[in-house]
Amino acid sequence: MELQDTYYNKSEYVETASGNKVSRQTVLCGSQNIILHGKVIVQSDAIIRGDLANVKTGRFCIISKGSVIRPPFKKFSKGVAFFPLQMGDHVFVGENTVVNAAVVGSYVYIGKNVVIGRRCVLKDCCMIEDNSVLPAETVVPSFARYSGSPARLITTLPEAMPDLMSEFTKSYYQHFLPTTVN
Amino acid sequence: MAHNNIKILPGATVCEDCTLEGDITIGGGTVIHPRVTIIAEGGPIIIAEYCIIEEYSTIIHKKSDKQENPPKPLFIGAHNVFEVGCRLEAPCGHIGESNVFECRSFVGVDIKIGSGCVIGAACHLTAPQTLIDNTVIWGSEHHIREALEKQPSQLLQLDFLSKVMPNYHRLRKPNVHKRQPSRQSQDSSPKP
Repeated sequence: MELQDTYYNKSEYVETASGNKVSRQTVLCGSQNIILHGKVIVQSDAIIRGDLANVKTGRFCIISKGSVIRPPFKKFSKGVAFFPLQMGDHVFVGENTVVNAAVVGSYVYIGKNVVIGRRCVLKDCCMIEDNSVLPAETVVPSFARYSGSPARLITTLPEAMPDLMSEFTKSYYQHFLPTTVN
Repeated sequence: MAHNNIKILPGATVCEDCTLEGDITIGGGTVIHPRVTIIAEGGPIIIAEYCIIEEYSTIIHKKSDKQENPPKPLFIGAHNVFEVGCRLEAPCGHIGESNVFECRSFVGVDIKIGSGCVIGAACHLTAPQTLIDNTVIWGSEHHIREALEKQPSQLLQLDFLSKVMPNYHRLRKPNVHKRQPSRQSQDSSPKP
């Protein structure tokens, strides 16, 4: 199935040399601490909190409207620290989702209205369904599909998940086009 | 629309990129992240010391028909944490101390909240009710239990945030200075 073209207003998005498409309506705090590894789409009203700690994403990540990517904090015996947040390649983050995870692997699909608790670890090739709530410090294994509040394992994913996700994010990127001015 | 009257006490960290409307008082040590919405349309909102209000949270003091005149303020106690995307629609009057409103939670009108309560992530409270102290609500079925221990204090996080945020954000300046006017008059009077 071919994805439909999504059009965006060319003046609203900034395209960098490495192919990142970042909306002007986002809040990128501490942009010197945010590394987008190329061909990443950050849509309007998303917030990436680079001021708290480093945020790194891989290639072909899609961060949808209204989502918040925010490094998690942890308390120690003396003081607190915000942990850097790492995201792998081919990650899809749905609309209005809050990601407080420590690590998000590659080929991960996170639905919309999801809350990922503090310091969660999402291994490669997993899927969190829409409207789920992942409690703090959850580890989601590979090929697992989580759903509900609090989120539980419901099924496993097919072995082709890496191919499915890379195809999905790549075609999303290719179909994310500026509106043509006639 | 009532005119804006925003009082920020010294020591508060309030980002410029947030919407504040109406009569709002923000206590010292409170941290307000960007993209926060606080609207005091039904009466003043008073936020005490050492609260954390994270991105996309919304606090509204709603207008109601049976409102007294002058309108009662919405008082939010100290050490409350409003996590990302939570929404509070002005329950009557008073919110205790050390409550946690987790991500994407919703608290409607006519809900009284004690102290030390936790409203779990994505929980929606709409029916009129009173939460006694140390109530914890969690999950999609809205289980309720009583917390065994007090909510840990967020002072260390506040400390960190108030140190780091000024480096990255434009902040609103505190505009209320306690005690200073009286001091100035004392200083200036003996001079001549």
